[in-house]
Amino acid sequence: MPTVKRSLRQLAEFLYLLARQELKARYKGRVLGYVWALAHTFALAFVYWIAFKIIMRLDMPNYSVYLIAGMFPWVWLSVGVTGATRSFVVNAPLVKEMGLAHAILPLSNVVQEMVHFILALPVVIAWVVLAGGYDAAVSWLWQIPLMLALQVAFVYPLALAFALINVYVREIEPLLGIGFPLLFFATPMVYPISIVPEPLHQYFELNPFHALMESWRSLFMAGALDLPRIAYAAGFAVAAGAVTWLLYRKLAPRVGELV
Amino acid sequence: MTHAVLCEDLWKTYQRHRPLGVKSLLLGADPPRDTRFAREWALAEVGFQVPRGRSFGVIGPNGSGKTTLLSILLGTVQEDRGRVSLSGRVAPLLELGAGFHGDLTGRENVFLFGSILGVRLAEIRRRFENIAEFSELEGAIEQPLRTYSAGMIARLGFSTIIHSPADILLIDEVLAVGDASFQAKCHRALREFRARGGTLIIVSHNMKEVTEVCDEGICLDLGRVVDAGPMAGVAARYQERMAAAESGKIKASAHAYR
Repeated sequence: MPTVKRSLRQLAEFLYLLARQELKARYKGRVLGYVWALAHTFALAFVYWIAFKIIMRLDMPNYSVYLIAGMFPWVWLSVGVTGATRSFVVNAPLVKEMGLAHAILPLSNVVQEMVHFILALPVVIAWVVLAGGYDAAVSWLWQIPLMLALQVAFVYPLALAFALINVYVREIEPLLGIGFPLLFFATPMVYPISIVPEPLHQYFELNPFHALMESWRSLFMAGALDLPRIAYAAGFAVAAGAVTWLLYRKLAPRVGELV
Repeated sequence: MTHAVLCEDLWKTYQRHRPLGVKSLLLGADPPRDTRFAREWALAEVGFQVPRGRSFGVIGPNGSGKTTLLSILLGTVQEDRGRVSLSGRVAPLLELGAGFHGDLTGRENVFLFGSILGVRLAEIRRRFENIAEFSELEGAIEQPLRTYSAGMIARLGFSTIIHSPADILLIDEVLAVGDASFQAKCHRALREFRARGGTLIIVSHNMKEVTEVCDEGICLDLGRVVDAGPMAGVAARYQERMAAAESGKIKASAHAYR
């Protein structure tokens, strides 16, 4: 099928342009835009803190750090996937001109959210150290990039898969809108796994999202990579990648028509 | 002679591909038949060849399949039967402002569009002065695109593709938006493009323009090629048929011209 000819470097440049465009839009107020983007996630964490720590009297030391350390990666994941799901439909004229390279559009959603996450990291780390009394570790300099790569590998297959499915079954968008909050509560995010009854722990541990989020928390709060969970999350990323590849082969050719 | 664009026995239907709702999936109902198109085949038995360096016009009434044909040539839509082959880099100008973003400036949109076309950023930077100059937008090129008129958007879009390193240009009815002097400028630029060995396929409703710019062409009606040959003849006969249909003397259907 004839398409515009591209190289990997050219696709990377295109990704860069898309990401820069989104950042300009999000942070157009400069400092104020940055503060606002952070404030949103902090506010969310604050609401859960009030609900669970104060009202429900959850007994957990450093609960605020537990929340924050998981919330930011989670927002990257959920906003990345829900944004990517719409990316073909919302950018229909673009999709019609791009040929099969349109697979880069969901990637740009994932990368944009990663950039927001990276920009938020100094504040997150400050919170972990100052509010939680944890030590910042030099090893984070290489461990954080590793986790970033893991999360991209984990999230992109999901992003692309849902973007493709959404073109055929438009209800996926609102379904994800319900699905993600459900997943959020099914995953130990606002509660530690310790309050889950012991016999159920194994089922919670099967949740790949839990493995990923717990790895982030382990990094910030224990200062170490949680290798078993990282391996599990990586395994899921590979499996998701394989399934998405099959979906792509089946669904991608007609996206230009249906979008 | 190697052809730049080759199309053989092309067939395309839209009927199978309507997006399904969850309701149909769950209830097992038959997918609703796509009623966008009144006929089964959007394109049927379409074939033509365009040698390198030639310009080729596609004309026909609304709904005859012209845009579908261009989408298939570009590769965004897949043909159901037949063979399509293009040799060379393709640059499309299909919808006014497609791929352009209202919040970005003209300059930023040139880079974005260029990147969509597959051009490296360094290359776009090198050509930017020429693109800006050709568009005659001057200061407006630093303004956000949402402040542009349709004519300005057409100028920016055309200027970008004519300066891109493309071998084949696919243009769909966009030039009609520019004013007379800009259209003349475009025609000149397209002639220079062909002199460099570029191939052009243009869809137009403007018979004067299409006769001026194109050497050969086809006329589509209801998805079929009803006329082919030197552009002047194809355009003239099309106009006669339309005039006659207007006055109700002949029924302008594909049957008479198979």
